[in-house]
Amino acid sequence: MTQAEIKLCSLLLQEHFGEIVEKIGTYLIRTGIQPLRMIVNDTGLLLDQVKKALCVLIQHNLVTYQLQKRGFVEYEAQCKRILRILRYPRYIYTAKTLYNDTGELIVEELLLNGKMTMSAVVRKVADRLTETMEDGKTMDYADVSNTFVRLADTHFVQRCPLVPEIPESPDAPPPPAPTLVINEKDMYVVPRLNLVGKGKRRRSCDEEDNGEHKAKKQKQDGESSEPPPDDGIYWQVNIDRFHQHFRDQGIVSAVANRMDQTSSEIVRTMLRMSEVTTSSGAPYTQPLSSNEIFRSLPAGYNIVKQVLDQYLTLLADDPLEFVGKSGDSGGGMYTVNLHKALASLATATLESIVEERFGSRCARIFRLLLRKKHLEQKQVEDFAMIPAKEAKDMLYKMLSENFVSLQEIPKTPDHAPSRTFYLYTVNIPSSARMLLHRCYKSVANLMERRQYETKENKRLLEKSQRVEAILASMQATGAEDTQLQEIEEMITAPERQQLETLKRNVNKIDASENQVDETIFVLESFIESTVRRP
Amino acid sequence: MSPRPWRAGAGLLARLPVWARCAMAEVKVKPEVPDPMDIENRIIELCHQFPHGITDQVIQNDMPHMEAQQRAMAINRLLSMGQLDLLRSNAGLLYRIKESQNASKMKGSDNQEKLVYQIIEDAGNKGIWSRDIRYKSNLPLTEINKILKNLESKKLIKAVKSVAASKKKVYMLYNLQPDRSVTGGAWYSDQDFESEFVEVLNQQCFKFLQSKAEAARESKQNPMIQRNSSFASSHEVELSMEDIETILNTLIYDGKVEMTIIAAKEGTVGSVDGQMKLYRAVSPLIQPTGLVRTPCGLCPVFDDCHEGGEISPSNCIYMTEWLEF
Repeated sequence: MTQAEIKLCSLLLQEHFGEIVEKIGTYLIRTGIQPLRMIVNDTGLLLDQVKKALCVLIQHNLVTYQLQKRGFVEYEAQCKRILRILRYPRYIYTAKTLYNDTGELIVEELLLNGKMTMSAVVRKVADRLTETMEDGKTMDYADVSNTFVRLADTHFVQRCPLVPEIPESPDAPPPPAPTLVINEKDMYVVPRLNLVGKGKRRRSCDEEDNGEHKAKKQKQDGESSEPPPDDGIYWQVNIDRFHQHFRDQGIVSAVANRMDQTSSEIVRTMLRMSEVTTSSGAPYTQPLSSNEIFRSLPAGYNIVKQVLDQYLTLLADDPLEFVGKSGDSGGGMYTVNLHKALASLATATLESIVEERFGSRCARIFRLLLRKKHLEQKQVEDFAMIPAKEAKDMLYKMLSENFVSLQEIPKTPDHAPSRTFYLYTVNIPSSARMLLHRCYKSVANLMERRQYETKENKRLLEKSQRVEAILASMQATGAEDTQLQEIEEMITAPERQQLETLKRNVNKIDASENQVDETIFVLESFIESTVRRP
Repeated sequence: MSPRPWRAGAGLLARLPVWARCAMAEVKVKPEVPDPMDIENRIIELCHQFPHGITDQVIQNDMPHMEAQQRAMAINRLLSMGQLDLLRSNAGLLYRIKESQNASKMKGSDNQEKLVYQIIEDAGNKGIWSRDIRYKSNLPLTEINKILKNLESKKLIKAVKSVAASKKKVYMLYNLQPDRSVTGGAWYSDQDFESEFVEVLNQQCFKFLQSKAEAARESKQNPMIQRNSSFASSHEVELSMEDIETILNTLIYDGKVEMTIIAAKEGTVGSVDGQMKLYRAVSPLIQPTGLVRTPCGLCPVFDDCHEGGEISPSNCIYMTEWLEF
């Protein structure tokens, strides 16, 4: 774990869970696997606090535990998983685009709570939706359940591992920590629940109904004291599936940029068909025949079979090599080269970073080195058609920032510098790692700046909150307009201005954190794909 | 005198007067003495007869009664006057007539200069570096420099700056055109890289390809092909296919153009060895990535920045400026 990653993790934990959890989480990241005793000793916190913090972390899948052979339990922090907290907004937004508000809220609830039973999720989401709806309308549980089932079918949510059913043996003491297992088949199976009901509003505006509602509430509470039918079956968000989706989005948009809309739609269809059949780390999707693709095209596209075949041939022949032809049966079998696509996206990211930082001539040299692998300085000048002095300057600048490296090839055994070839080259995986590290540090910087901005204006924020609270309470008790006016004027115009600026800045920094996270995603997927290759 | 019977031999001789008798005694069978000038002229005529050069043997055959010493003297004189060239072949030494106007030029020079001039002439188009002249002629550096200055002032040779190493000067004959490798070809004028010229060509080619792509997008969806050859009249230089290809390659390295190779029939314009290169304008694969939209992505002091230091996110001036947009 690099320093930048540790810093970022601790910032994220602090922002979302608070000081104590942050302390324990950072300690676990730094020192690796630890038993409970060690954690209590080294962090100096109370046993109770440590236990609760660990519960929170385990609930959110950020810390895992293992039963050691000696009989005690050790805890390990999942640094990568903690970094995913940064990506929560993107997951929620994707769910919204695919499954509307219902899906968005389901995913949000699951992310905020780590693991939940289906019935609990459905109830909560229905309540929240009902609040936003107009008076008199309520959200039916059935709608929410349907959306939940659809999410499970497309593998966006999955079941958590369960406690296995062990036959009760009275002699053996129960193990200190259960080992959770989950059956592959059962991961996306939705239990049959008969969830009937409607969403409830949290507050009723009508005071008269309050009394009646109170009575009803007590009865209902009594009813719900029995355990829900799906107790023990917890669901969590399937992060890998979302990543697959982001990767597909990236590939489709790249194809749309390079070719045209229709080709990107074809690639999107191919990827959609391979969503559940191809594992997330596979280098190629399953081969799809052109007939299948034709049948699965979205309804709006009326293109003839021949045109589809032409497009597929064009895609297969394109220098991008995103789509490859693997056979001729069924009208032509086509696959999408996932690893190649990730590599192209990562390379394009590297090129764009070089272009923005150093200028377009440096970008030209960079792309030249990517194509030709190894070049001498003279050759670089010749191919790129840049004057010698400038080319030298640019190469050295990129070399000092580690985008480009030198390979020495000696002519004589004594490696004399005047008799050695020096070749410039670009090593893509190492550059990607270097930039990834830089991304982590950038996000940490942005978060710190955001916190600093908020802290600077803390006094102002507190004041405005107080004023709002006073306003709300006065409105509730029915004050006059003039009094409301007076209260509002407690915040002067420049202060209001300052508040506006603060809000704008915080939003801007937030948005840019998300943008950097996109770069992180591309680079991380690429590095993972290079690592997994045998 | 009473007539005596004529007796051959001594009597006759005895009857000649004394002076005649002395002269007769001295006369031997002597070969005709050729004039040194005649020898040289004869040699020159022979040379003209055999423009590829004559060997010693040929001269000897022609004038068999000439002594070797005289022959050698004549040849030496002709050589020193610069009318003959001395060459070595596997048959021995060859003498060849030299061009008359060069002969007149070299009149005032001495042997060393002639040698140096010969070496430079042999280097032909590419010219030769002064150190190489020294190796070939085994003359000391000071001598070489003097000779080179001399020859330059006589306008027999010229120095051309090589584009590879700007301090290096190669020498070649005055009236020769320097080779492409020395001057750098179409992209250099007076040893200066014509970057604006390259830039302009770059832009033009790209615009051309882009407009073709636009037209194609309106009509059908097949990939567009393009081949271009042009004159650059402002520069008075004709651009060959190779030159255009180097320009298009730079566009590929800019990421604006991609290239494919297709098989083409022999004889179609632009095909080389049955293949043809096609170029197409493309748009970039992704939008500028997220990292470069934040100040941290482009910050020059990124490595020095940490919380609590001189440079930290809290007091970062780049961020402050960026937030004010």
